[in-house]
Amino acid sequence: MLLRRSIGWSAFMALAIIDPATVWATQTHGGLEGLFVHQFAHIFFAFSMGLLIYWLKKWDLVASAAWRSIQYAALFFIAWNLDAYVSHWLVEQSGLIEVFVVDGMRIHITTPRGMNWLTEIYYLTKLDHLLSVPALIFLFLGLKQLLKSTEETDHLEDISP
Amino acid sequence: MIISSLPIWAVDVGGALLMIVFSFLCVYYATELRQRDPQNIVWTYLMWVSLALSVFAISRSVGHIAKQLLIITHHEQVWEQLRPYSGAINTFAFMVVGAVTLFFERTWTIYQTIVRDRRALQKAHNKLVYMNQNLEQIVNERTTALTLSEHKYRRIFEASKDMILSSAKTGNIIDLNPAGFKILGLDPGKSIDGLLLANYFNNPSDWQQLINEINSQGFISSTEIDLRTTDGSRRRVVLSASLEGDGFTSDGIIHFLIKDIEQQRLMRDQIAQADKLASIGELSAGIAHEINNPLGVILGFAQLILRNETQNERLRDDLKTIEKHTRHCKSIVEDLLNFARTSKPEKTLCDVHVIIDDVIHFIQQHAKMSDVHFEKTYDHRIEKLLLDEKKIKQVFINLVMNAKHAIGDKGTIQVTTARNDHKGHVLIKVIDDGRGIEKKNVSRIFDPFFTTKPTGEGTGLGLSVSYGIIKNHGGHIFVQSASGRGTTFTVELPVPNQPSGSEP
Repeated sequence: MLLRRSIGWSAFMALAIIDPATVWATQTHGGLEGLFVHQFAHIFFAFSMGLLIYWLKKWDLVASAAWRSIQYAALFFIAWNLDAYVSHWLVEQSGLIEVFVVDGMRIHITTPRGMNWLTEIYYLTKLDHLLSVPALIFLFLGLKQLLKSTEETDHLEDISP
Repeated sequence: MIISSLPIWAVDVGGALLMIVFSFLCVYYATELRQRDPQNIVWTYLMWVSLALSVFAISRSVGHIAKQLLIITHHEQVWEQLRPYSGAINTFAFMVVGAVTLFFERTWTIYQTIVRDRRALQKAHNKLVYMNQNLEQIVNERTTALTLSEHKYRRIFEASKDMILSSAKTGNIIDLNPAGFKILGLDPGKSIDGLLLANYFNNPSDWQQLINEINSQGFISSTEIDLRTTDGSRRRVVLSASLEGDGFTSDGIIHFLIKDIEQQRLMRDQIAQADKLASIGELSAGIAHEINNPLGVILGFAQLILRNETQNERLRDDLKTIEKHTRHCKSIVEDLLNFARTSKPEKTLCDVHVIIDDVIHFIQQHAKMSDVHFEKTYDHRIEKLLLDEKKIKQVFINLVMNAKHAIGDKGTIQVTTARNDHKGHVLIKVIDDGRGIEKKNVSRIFDPFFTTKPTGEGTGLGLSVSYGIIKNHGGHIFVQSASGRGTTFTVELPVPNQPSGSEP
């Protein structure tokens, strides 16, 4: 019994040295993994923004205009992440849409028969800056208001006894 | 479908530029915030988020602009080489923002704790600075408040009519207010060092009992005890005391509040005495009235037989004996009736000083008074009083003869009169420096048939009769006496224009 088990282990170790893939050692990475990581990053980013909104509401920080702006920034970031995810999925994962550059200012979009509406969806998702720019503007406004309120607080502390 | 990519291009390039601008502005404000308060971990969080977003903005925007330019210039293969780097950096930036945000909850909680601690520290610091700067003023204010408070309580202490006293558990008096000096009969200037409260308790066991009770329950409330003053007289007081502290430490201080109720006690005793005498008087009147008539019949028949009997001398002597003793009995019965105030006095306006002079003259004539000295102090403002002269004379004869009996063969008898305009009465005092009345007898001296004289020397009706006569005049009679220290009888009679009208 013991002998049989020892032979089994010895064969496994020899195989691991000669052909690691057979024993599922270091995994290789294909081209799609990068895309998956990028998509997961979008989901993770959106999730973290959702969590931020939850905490801001829980602590009632949204009562102040500054944190309210940051909350709106988080909302726009969530929307942008969803937009980017859908855009990536349509072009790079689904295989439903193919885009070719015709010339400098025109593109050719092909969709399966009967799914022409995907063209409009794709076109809209490509305008993602309409979401990401407002997100950054709200973040900028929030930070600016925070700085202002900090200055006012400092001023009050300076004049208080 | 072929469509124009111009809107996409315009939004992409314009948006990319705007993202760079706003992400940099975010970094600027976040840095400003952090510089204002480098310890604020929330600002650190926002700076990290801004930095990650600016990296993302640069990577993505530069990438997108480059992409559009390269596509327009037909250099797609160059973009294909740059694309993985741009995408990787974008992915990394997302991950940083997400990861940092995951810890926002902890960051905020820590920040709140730090802020709370910092505020508490700042508050303490401000208070310290304020105290440091205003210490003198604060001390002055507190001292003034303390002085006012001390003054207020000192005023209560000084002005109180009740004794306020503090003592150690050993009984050593620590503090005593002026009322306490007065009640204990101490000289106001006398030092209280070394004075023991226990020494002023009439009954030493009262002190021990009080201490035991205070030790067991920490206080004692409204207890009546007798104090002995410096001059030896007794004072009835109500005492409350409480032990300062927990009641178990050996060096505790006891605070006393002592109310003098001697006057109330005297009044209570007088009311009880008056009630007792009223009851006895009622009883005596009933008996005397019933005996008086048969005595009259006996006396009448004895005198009738005596008048008709001229032969038998022996019978005449027996009848005379009957007559003599019957008259004696009638005299006692009359005294009882006088005590019971059944006969109405026949009042006329009399000069009380003339009555007293007559009485003293009469007694000096009939008793051996060679070594008895009379001192008379009259208040000549006293006008004539409405008196039954005969009965009032009897009262003063009784009082002066009692005084004579008390002093023996040698001594001084003082008779003083005074008018009290405020109360509307006249006070006549008969004072002797004789042997005084024993304490146990003081409450009984107005009782009928009570006498301290040997049997046969007095009937014990003199003071009872005097009491009845004075009461019948709407007045009062009091006695003050201490064994060996003389006796003072005080007769209080109303002036005619202000009758007391309070005959019991």
